[in-house]
This record gives sequence, structure tokens and C-alpha cells, in this order.
Amino acid sequence: MMKTDMQILKKGAGRVASSLLLIGIIIASIFPFLYMFLMSFKSTINAHDLDFSLEKLSLMQYQKIFAMDHFGRYIFNSVFVAAAGVILTVGVCSLAGYAFAKMDFKGNDKIFLFLVMTMVVPSEVIIIPLFLITKGLGWLNTYRALILPLPTAFGVFIMRQAILDVPQDLIDAAKIDGCGNLKIFFKVVLPLVKSSMLALSIFTFVGAWNNFLWPLVASTKTEMKTLPLALSMMKTQFNTDVGLTMACAVINFLPPFIFYVFIQGRFKEGMTLSGMKG
Amino acid sequence: MAGGKKKYGAAKVAPYCYIAPITLILVTFVIGSVAGSIILGFTKYNIMTEPVFQGLKNYSKLMSDSKFIKALKNTLELMVLIVPLQTIFSVAISVFLAANRKRLLGRLANSVIFIPVICAPAVAGVVWRELLNGKIAVVERSFGLFGIDPSMLLGSAKTALITVGMVAIWKWMGYYVVIYTSGLLSIPDTYYEAAKVDGAGRLRCFLSITLPLLKPTIILGVFLSMTTSLQCFDLIFNLTGGGPNNASTTLVVYAYSKCFSAGTAGYAMAISNVLFLVILAVALLQRDLMKREASEI
Repeated sequence: MMKTDMQILKKGAGRVASSLLLIGIIIASIFPFLYMFLMSFKSTINAHDLDFSLEKLSLMQYQKIFAMDHFGRYIFNSVFVAAAGVILTVGVCSLAGYAFAKMDFKGNDKIFLFLVMTMVVPSEVIIIPLFLITKGLGWLNTYRALILPLPTAFGVFIMRQAILDVPQDLIDAAKIDGCGNLKIFFKVVLPLVKSSMLALSIFTFVGAWNNFLWPLVASTKTEMKTLPLALSMMKTQFNTDVGLTMACAVINFLPPFIFYVFIQGRFKEGMTLSGMKG
Repeated sequence: MAGGKKKYGAAKVAPYCYIAPITLILVTFVIGSVAGSIILGFTKYNIMTEPVFQGLKNYSKLMSDSKFIKALKNTLELMVLIVPLQTIFSVAISVFLAANRKRLLGRLANSVIFIPVICAPAVAGVVWRELLNGKIAVVERSFGLFGIDPSMLLGSAKTALITVGMVAIWKWMGYYVVIYTSGLLSIPDTYYEAAKVDGAGRLRCFLSITLPLLKPTIILGVFLSMTTSLQCFDLIFNLTGGGPNNASTTLVVYAYSKCFSAGTAGYAMAISNVLFLVILAVALLQRDLMKREASEI
């Protein structure tokens, strides 16, 4: 069969159209972030023109923002809360996941079901009673308040699913070799569920790093605020200085973004965990 | 299995030690909060003084609180705005990206569409606020094509909520695209090949193969989108702060302001409880639909 010119033309036009659409999707996805980056490198206050000749770009906004009171503290708070949150979540969830998946004890199924039921409770809805509980414990403006509520039943669910797939033979063999439960957990089970641990880590890290409402409520003192709160406060304090606000947004944006660039597939998997399996 | 189950007390207690930390955390923070919210919703409580039981008074007050009615309306409106558009766009984009997944541009689009998902809602809110208010020629011109002045979008009571909805759709698009793409890629190629042999066109394939087989994933996505949009807070707080004139105040925003600005915590919890009921109803509906879907297959 010979292709007519029309057919070739039609195919070419389709390819051009789909390319344009793809470019449209790409621009729509990154334009706000391009704007954010470019604005953060501008020294002139409140300059909205998109004139980005190289000699006009400067690091001035970043120098200014790091000179701001408490800014180093905000970064530390965000990093510390996210890191501790990941360690705590992965720790307690895999411990419980191991018990639920591989141990025989009274009430195993019932307790698991009870914990999983807490997954239907939406976090934004219980913010006020959570605030009251935290206040009652005297934990307002502490790291404990920001970190301890981070683990969810969802993490237990994920880790239990993963550990169920660990062959029982391996665990039995380790037992015959005289390993205790804890040793089996660390030496046999955890190495086999690394990918689920990584997915849960990413999920928890992004959630904790981006968390807004809970820190807004639990951290009233300036020195306990995290980066998203600092960013949100800037709109009132430095309303005119767009560049400075954007520099703060960039610093807030970069850590998850850099992780994403390096481990894209894992990141998508981790972030959509709740959507896939929940 | 019997190895660990000797008559030692320690071996019997061990499993409970493993589940104790997370159980303690969830009971304290989640169960405790739900119980607290239900109980304190029946009280007059302003945090400073002791709560006083007053029956259903908070809830009867809600009925005549015009700001509450407005917030409830806004919450539902936002959901009705977001869910269909989010679903249609993300299914369409997933199909389009899956068809172009071998091309460089397709792969690039597939990667960058997820960037808004990983960025903090606070960042998305602040950047979009500046972008819309920024008097930037490119932005003004592209919105001008549709006859819209971008700087008015967040400031006008008519468009504030819609604008919040659009930013939310933009922010979560990549999330749903990932979910739908994984659903699409699990449809065997042989189905499409067989349909092609039978002379089915692209639209026919989409309607007769893709959509029916994607249905369970779509149900999941729709409900995820519903529950997420009902709880929207960070974006609203950073885009409009609930304004202008409460035009974009949703239930979460209203409860927050009632507790932390007005100081009426009991009343605020009654508001949250209403939202909780709405979300619970949505979750039950989802369970029902998913069960029916599973029994059909």
C-alpha cells in the first residue's frame, strides 16, 4: 500500500499537535516554579517585569533571608521534625507490622482492625481536640508535639502487608538458629522489606515537611515554627518584597524536589501509597 | 510457629510490646481526639475556663449561623467544582501521556506533572497568589485571552472559591495521573489489538475497553478527590485566608477561626464534627460502591 501525501501530512500534523499539547502540560506544571526561582534571584524589590538578563540576577534575597531572625531555626525545625518523624514512623510501624504479620497472639486481628479503623479519621478534622490534648500534656511549642502525632495506622497497614510476604521458613530457620524475635526482626525481616520502608519514609517525609495546619496550631512561639509557617507569615510582614518571599518558597520547595529528581519512581510510589492501597 | 509459644510469660507479652508504641500514639492522638471532639461538641468551652455541658445547643446554633451555612455551602461547592474536573482532566491526561509514553516529551511531561504534588500546599498557595497578583505581563496576557484580569481572581467574592479550586486541581493533577496511569497500564494490550482487528476506532476503544476497565480506579480516584477537597485548608489559608468576606471560607477554615480567633473551642468542635459526618458518609458510600464493584467482577 502506498501512503498518499495526505496521510503523511495528517500523521505529521497529529504529531505536531500532540507535541504542542505535551509542551503545554509541561509549561503548566512548571511555570509557577520557574517564576518562583527567577523572582528569588532578583534584587530589585517588587519588580514584576520578567527581565532576567544575567547581570540583574543576584543572591541578595538569599543573603537577606538567612540574615533574618530565626530563619536558621526554622530550617532546623523543619529538618529535625521531618527526620525524627520518619525514624519514629518507620520504627513503630514496622515493629507493629511485624507483630501483626508474623506473631500469634490473642486479639491480633481485632487490635489490627481497631487500629486500621483510625485511618478514616481525617487529620484536619481533629486539629482542635488534638491541640487541646497537646495543651493538656503541656506539650505546646515542643518538638514532641510536632513529631509524635505523625505515625498513622496507614504505616502499620503498609508494613504488615510487606512483612506478610516474608517467607515463614526464613523466620523459622532463624528461630532454630536461636535468634530471638528482635534479632529476627532486624536481621531477617527488615532487610527484606526495604522498599516498603523507603516508600513509607518518603510518604512520611513529604507529609511532615509540607505539614501546615498542625504546626500552625501547635507552634505558637516564633522559635518553634517550621518553614511553611515562616513562608506563610512573610506575606503579612514583608508584603512588598516578592523576591524575599520567593526565596523562602524556594528553600521550602527544594528538599522534596531534589529527592524527587533522584528517586522519581520511588517517590511517586511512596506519595500515592494511600491512593493505591487504602 | 510453636517455637516462640512456650509457656514463658515473656514470649506471650512480647507481641504486645511490639504493637504498644503505635497503639499508644493512635489511642492518645486519634481516638482521644475523636472522643474529645464528640464530648466537647456538647459543651460551651473557651479553653480558658472549664467546659460546661449544654446539650445540643452548639448544633442548634449552627442551624441559624449564616456564616456556618455559608462555610458548609462553600465546602460542598468546592468539592463539586474540583472532583469532576479533576477526574476528567486527569483521566484524559493519563490516556494522552500513556499513548505518548515512549516519546521524550511524553516522559518529561510525565515527570514534571508530579512536581506540584510534592511541593507544600503553602508554597503552591503563596506562589500562585503572587503569580496572580503580580502584574506580570505574560500572565496578564494569557489570562486576557479569556477576558480575565488575573489580579481580580482572588480578590473578588465571585471568583475566589473557583480560583482556589483551580489551584487545587493543578496541585493534585499529577497525583491522580499516577493513579490512573497505573490503572491504564494494567489493561492488557491484547484487548486493544483485538479491537483494532475488529476495526474499532480510538474513541470506540476508549469507551468500550479503557473506561469500563478503569472504572474501579476511577471510583477510588473520585472518592480520594472528594475527601481531599472537603478537607482543603492550607491552600485556602495561603491564597485567600478565607476571604474576601468569607467567600472562600470552608468548614475547616471556619472551625479554625472559631477556635483560634474567636476562642469558642466547643462550638468549633461542633463544626468539625459536622464535617466529620460528611466525610464519614462519603467513606461509607465509597465502601459500598467498591464492594458492589468487586462483586460484579
